[in-house]
Amino acid sequence: MVATDIILDLENLTKHYGDQKVLKGVSLSLRKGDIKVIIGPSGAGKSTLLHCINFLTTVDGGHIRLRDQEINFHRKRELYAYRQKIGMIFQDFNLFDHLTALENVQIGLVRVKKLPKTKARTIATSELERVGLLEHRHKYPAELSGGQKQRVSIARALAMEPEIMLLDEPTSSLDPELTGEVLAVIRKLAAGGMTMLMATHQIEFAASLADEIIFMENGTVVEQGPARKVLFDADGDRTREFCARIRGLEKGVSS
Amino acid sequence: MIEELLFIRQEVAPAMLRGLWMSILLIIPSAVSGLLIGIATGLIRVYGRRFFRTIADGYVLFFRGFPLLVQLYLWYFGLPHVGIYLSPYTAAVIGFALCSGAYHSEYVRGALLSIKSGQMLAAKSLGFSRTGAIFTIILPQAIRRALPGSGNELIYLIKYSSLAYMVTCIELTGEAKILASSYFKYMEIFMIAGAVYLVLVSLTTWVLNRLEDAVAVPGFERIRS
Amino acid sequence: MTQGWQAALEGLPYILKGVWVTLTVVAGALSMGLAIGLVLSVVQVYGKRPLRKLVGIYVWFFRGIPLLVLLFLFYFGVLGFLRIELSPFVVAVVVLGLISSAYQSQILRGAILSLAEGQLKAARAIGMSDTQAIIFIILPQAMRLALPAWSNEYTILLKDSAVTYALGVTEIMTRANHVAARTYQHFWIYIMAGFIFMALTYAGTKALQMLEKKVAIAGYTSR
Repeated sequence: MVATDIILDLENLTKHYGDQKVLKGVSLSLRKGDIKVIIGPSGAGKSTLLHCINFLTTVDGGHIRLRDQEINFHRKRELYAYRQKIGMIFQDFNLFDHLTALENVQIGLVRVKKLPKTKARTIATSELERVGLLEHRHKYPAELSGGQKQRVSIARALAMEPEIMLLDEPTSSLDPELTGEVLAVIRKLAAGGMTMLMATHQIEFAASLADEIIFMENGTVVEQGPARKVLFDADGDRTREFCARIRGLEKGVSS
Repeated sequence: MIEELLFIRQEVAPAMLRGLWMSILLIIPSAVSGLLIGIATGLIRVYGRRFFRTIADGYVLFFRGFPLLVQLYLWYFGLPHVGIYLSPYTAAVIGFALCSGAYHSEYVRGALLSIKSGQMLAAKSLGFSRTGAIFTIILPQAIRRALPGSGNELIYLIKYSSLAYMVTCIELTGEAKILASSYFKYMEIFMIAGAVYLVLVSLTTWVLNRLEDAVAVPGFERIRS
Repeated sequence: MTQGWQAALEGLPYILKGVWVTLTVVAGALSMGLAIGLVLSVVQVYGKRPLRKLVGIYVWFFRGIPLLVLLFLFYFGVLGFLRIELSPFVVAVVVLGLISSAYQSQILRGAILSLAEGQLKAARAIGMSDTQAIIFIILPQAMRLALPAWSNEYTILLKDSAVTYALGVTEIMTRANHVAARTYQHFWIYIMAGFIFMALTYAGTKALQMLEKKVAIAGYTSR
């Protein structure tokens, strides 16, 4: 009997900056082990949506529930505890520039989870090993390539033992030849059963990995469904148009 | 001629050393306080609430706008009008610390603002509180960025400590003036005084450079000529 | 206390007469600093090794000795030694000018170095001598880049001019002291003096900003 527990439930999220409506009622839910990918043109609100989930940006309306519990983000302690359960990967990596790779992974464990330094170091080392960067652990971000930086940031997020991972265009800032190493790590994560919500332009990757693809445009979810369907045989015209274009781009590149 | 010089050295040396000691007594508390005030003010001006930010901005505006000499005179000659009588030393240290602090806060503030906003986002996403993120992630980076500017300010402090003489706190420059006036040996004595300051400044510059190297992290280097 | 600041206010006209002296001192020092600084910076970037070292020592000297000490050294020491008589005003301008030249030389040096070396190459390629290249191509650009720092230098010199009180130059600070000695309203008088300096800082900075805009070349930002 497969338990379909919903881990993350987003209900009718709205967000506006002044007059501009960035999210116009977005609803989404993730079950344990789900991998959902958001695609859409720039300005669709993908990044804003992800930032709202861990309250890096505050929503104006709607509900966010983690395991049926709605978070009161005004209670600071609740908010910090909640954020530990959500791992986030940024497009710009955002590694802490004054710390080595190892220290980057370690610092959340020491300062936020309040683990003793030795234990934190052990965990951090094994996480770095998992992403294949053990030998670079004493390097500073300025000494790492883009792909290495992103892998460190994945290790850093994983060390906190999150229930969900949010990935905001993880490979968009990388040179093409470096995306492979990061995608490999993400694939490994998925195989291990991690629940993920990812915004990306990497369509082939998304198609091979995602349980569901969500097409967003202008702050709304236009269509969502199984990868094959949305990408190749979508219901909506806009969806078909967009997917045809990005498929064409990818075809052009890979041939 | 040589005897004369040696004799003068018997007079000159103790006075200069006395002055140097007083200078150091002025510089060190002023430098430390100034730096702490600067960091605190810088933090308030970037992260504090509106009310405190305005006060901090006002403080910096006036203490950078008024010449240091005017500030010193206000502390020493002005305060008695409201019933507060400070010794020359106290007036000087307070004056130096508050003036220096305002300049430090500019460097600290600039450094804090130069840290990419992504650093705060990443820290928050891990569960850091805002205060925790500021002190664990942002400030360590900002201090490295502020080091050149603040180090410079320290050098200025060493030089401007000579103004203590103007509020009758006799430090190196004061001793030199008194000595020179007594013996009419202005050239020699002020050159000695000048040389002592040069040594102090050069020594401090060297220490600051070593400090920068010691806390340097790849990616934060400054190219020194 | 109400009587206090009124008495202080009466001294204002007398103090304001010092503004002209202050500004002249600052202007003189800035110009002298610029003229000497330009030469020094060019020598430091393009000159031969021993000359560069000399400039280095000059800069180290004038940036390392306190203003007050230099004022005393020059006025009482050097003048006596050379048996010349100069007014405190002239000494003030010269000393401030020399110190400023040391700082300005570094600013200009940085500006020159930041210019792409392609500029010099291109100048040579069209047949200019190095001297012509430096005067017509490098320096005009370097000076524009250095303008923001010039604004800073103005502010510093303005505040330093108060120290020349020690030589009796009849600028703002000296006059303020005279009034204070007469009226015993030290508190209000120094506050007034402080505000005068702030006003001059603001006015000068704004003027320099306008200058920046006037000589700005499209797309050529120094930020």
